Order: sequence, then C-alpha cells, then structure tokens
Amino acid sequence: MTTPGLTEVLLAAIMVVIAIAVARYWRLPVIKDMAFGSVRAFVQLVAVGYAVRFIFDIESPWLIMLALGIMMTVGAHAAAGRVKDIKGSFSICLMSMMIGSLITLATMLVFKIISFDARYIIPLAGMVIGNSMNASALVIDRLASDLRGNRLAIETALALGKSWREASQKFHRDAARTGMVAILNFLKTVGIVALPGAMTGMILAGADPVEAVLLQIIVAYMLLAATTITSVVAVELTIRRFFTRHHQLRIDR
Amino acid sequence: MGATGSILQLCNLTRRVGEGTPARAIVDDVSYSFDSGRLYSIIGPSGAGKSSLLRLLNRLDESTNGYVKFEGSDTREFSPCELRQRVGYLFQTPHLFDRTVRDNIVYAQPDLSESKINRLIQQVQLPSGIVDAPVDNLSVGERQRVALARLLATQPEVALLDEPTAALDPANTEAIERLIGSVVKDCGVTVIIVSHSPQQVVRLGGEAILMVEGKLIEHGDALQLVKNPGTPQGRRYMNGELQ
Ligand SMILES: Nc1ncnc2c1ncn2[C@@H]1O[C@H](COP(=O)(O)OP(=O)(O)O)[C@@H](O)[C@H]1O
Ligand SMILES: [Mg+2]
Repeated sequence: MTTPGLTEVLLAAIMVVIAIAVARYWRLPVIKDMAFGSVRAFVQLVAVGYAVRFIFDIESPWLIMLALGIMMTVGAHAAAGRVKDIKGSFSICLMSMMIGSLITLATMLVFKIISFDARYIIPLAGMVIGNSMNASALVIDRLASDLRGNRLAIETALALGKSWREASQKFHRDAARTGMVAILNFLKTVGIVALPGAMTGMILAGADPVEAVLLQIIVAYMLLAATTITSVVAVELTIRRFFTRHHQLRIDR
Repeated sequence: MGATGSILQLCNLTRRVGEGTPARAIVDDVSYSFDSGRLYSIIGPSGAGKSSLLRLLNRLDESTNGYVKFEGSDTREFSPCELRQRVGYLFQTPHLFDRTVRDNIVYAQPDLSESKINRLIQQVQLPSGIVDAPVDNLSVGERQRVALARLLATQPEVALLDEPTAALDPANTEAIERLIGSVVKDCGVTVIIVSHSPQQVVRLGGEAILMVEGKLIEHGDALQLVKNPGTPQGRRYMNGELQ
C-alpha cells in the first residue's frame, strides 16, 4: 500500500456504498445517518488534517495551547451534552478533563518522555482528552443516578448523624470505577483482542512494530492516569452539587 | 425523668418549595413548643406537611423562614451531625443497610459495647439470637424494630417517628405503640410521632397536634382533640371529610 491520496479515499467510499446497500436491503432505519455521517467525517477529518498541519508548520507554543483549549472545550461540551439533566455539568466536565489531561501531559513533559512539540502534544492530547471526556460523562451520569435512586439510604445515614461524605461514600467509589472501566478493560485485552489505534497507525505508516508497541504502552499508561484523575475530580465536583453545607441531600422532586 | 420544660421550640417555622412567587408553603408559619420527656402525635390529612415538618426538626431540610430551638439554642448553632444524633429520626419506610442487625446498630454508634447492643435488642423486643442475622431475612415488623434500636443507639433526647406503624399489622402496631410508650416513660425520650389514624393517637395518649395544608390548626390533649375538636377543620378531619 502506498500512502493514501484522494484517489484512494474516493475508492474507499465503495465501502460506504456497500454498507448502504446492505442497510437498504435489510431496511435498517439508518441510511440517512450513514450517508450524512460519512460525508461529515470526511469534512471534519480533512479540516482537522489541515489545521494540524498548520500547527506543525508554525510550531508556536501559543498555538498548541490554543489547540488544547479548543479540544477541551469542545470535549467538555460533548460530555456535558450526555448528562444534560445535571446543573453545571459543563463546568464539571471541563474542570475534571482539564485537571486529568493537564497533569498527565505535564508529567510526560517534566520527565522528558515527550518534548513540547506539536507533533507529540497534539495527537497525545487528543487521545487523553477523548478518554477523559468519556470518563467524566460516565462518572457524572452514574453518580447522579445512584444518588437519585438511593435517596432513602443516603438520608438514613444523614439522619443517623453521618456526614455527607460518609453517607454517599459507596456511590463515590462505584462512580469513579465506572469512569475507569474502559481503560481497565483496554489494559486487559490490548494486543490480544484488539490492536490499538496508535500502534496500528505507526505500523501502517511503516514503523518497526516493537517501536510501535513501546509508544502504545506509554499511551496506555497516560490514559490510565488521565482517566483516573478525571474520574476522581468529576466525582468530587458532582457530589458537591447534591449536598448542602449543612449535610442535607439536595434532590429536586 | 426530666420534665424540664421546653426541649424543641418552633418559631414561625416555614418551608417553601417550588417555583411560584411566593412559592408554595408546605410548612406554613408553625409555632409550637415541645416539652421534654413527653409524647406528641402529629395528625392530619395526607399531604398536610407532617413529614416535611419533622424533617425541619433535625435539619434534614432547611427552613425558609423562622427557626427551631433545641434546648434553648437555635438548631443552626449545632453541627448538623451532632443535632441528628440527639434528635433521632425514623423514616416512614425505614432503610436498613444491607448487612446484619448488629452492623446496622453499630453503624449508628461505632463504640457500642456488646452488652449495650443486647440491651437495645431487648428493648425493642427482638429475640437476642437475631443480632447476627442478615437484615433481608427479617419481617416488616422486625425491620421496624431494628430501625428503632438503631435510632436509640445514639441515645437521642428526641425521637421523631414518621408513621412508624403504617406498614404493620394490628398485632405489630400495638406492640410498637407500647414500645414507644416505654421509650418515653422509661428512657425519658421526647417522642414526636406522625400518625395517620386518630384512633392510634387516642391509644398513644399525650398531646396531639392537627396539621392541615402546612398549618398547625389546633393542639391539645390527644383524647380531647380527637373526640371534641375545637375548630371546623378539626371536626371535618375527625369526621373523615379531609383525606
Ligand atoms: N422537596 C419538595 N418539593 C416539592 N414538594 C414537596 C417537597 N417535599 C414535600 N412536598 C410536598 O409537600 C406536601 C406535604 O408533604 P408531606 O410533608 O410529605 O405531607 P404528609 O407527610 O403530611 O403526608 C406534599 O404535597 C408534597 O408533595
Ligand atoms: Mg408523610
């Protein structure tokens, strides 16, 4: 295979046609989504490709920061959209994603595992932010539904003189773990069931498989740290929306 | 047993909820004084705000207006956790944590000795062998007793009981009523119980308070209030016209 050009991409659209034909035959009600989604992915990715190339060409730290800021804001917006019924979910998502991603990226930089080059920062930040985004949305959703569903248990503990933290402890842990399930499963099955994206990409681009694996291991560790921190911060920020200073559970009926 | 005057004092106590202006008052300007070591029953139609009133007394909810004094001090001066250990609360459908009877009691008071645990079990008339039973094997009546033992574990001065017999059969109801009477007489605990039945209020004796639509309508001796209410709303409620 050569490095793909526009011709190859247009030829690859045959697969979209095949997929739509199959869906049509089976009358799956997704044909519009398939067509629209394929075009949309094309436009988005091409735009991102040029944007990233532009960032690489300029190689300005400010531009990298700006790109990170935009990625996080868009990510937080998408995550918050999945937990609409919680007040302030956007700021919870943004804060937890920022703390999780930035601590991870900063650690990588401090220990000189990566250098502050757009070529490293942008793709790694993309993966870290994407995973943090999922973690924060899952954590908030799980915690909120657990608190709403266990109102009596929580208020029973409060009524016995327990602090809000004690009264809801069990639910913090469950929620934080929910945010980490994806990465934990990933660590279990990586290399055996699926070949992860970063590694596959490097191999396709002609790198030595062992080098590709080393990079993948670094990425996996980064994602573990980022999702763990994001999950815990998301729990801490969400839980406070559900209690008052006076150890009262605040759930609107 | 300290009949030492007022233990809980409610002053213009009000709680509003919801959107409107002014928002709906589910507890509406209630003033009353509960004396130490006595038994009080709160009755009224469903939705009158009885549970909402109880929840203000141990500060599970915040009042919008007015205040509650506990032993002479505004309840907001206590740490909520301390206040709730001294003003215990039993929910209408009690929740037991998913472990053994002992775990539930010890949860309320971690430094409880074995002999104190046994005394509590005895006090609520449970067989002593039950301490290590998982709570999901218990009957409704036994669960209610465990919840009561757990509440008494912190040695509260006041016990707020929200319809503690609503889910019980007549035999269990009668047993729990006697138990409540002895908690007042033998331990000097001030008990405030929400009841759905005027007959029960008569059986319990003590003072009775009638609430309708968030307001305290009248109060007085339990028998007197049920047999001979002094207000039109009181008469309508006792005649079963308000539900
Ligand atoms: N947090 C709340 N938000 C809105 N309405 C409430 C809230 N708490 C109680 N209510 C309403 O207040 C009224 C009184 O409720 P409650 O105190 O449970 O009555 P009771 O115990 O006398 O049956 C009911 O109409 C109930 O729906
Ligand atoms: Mg009620």
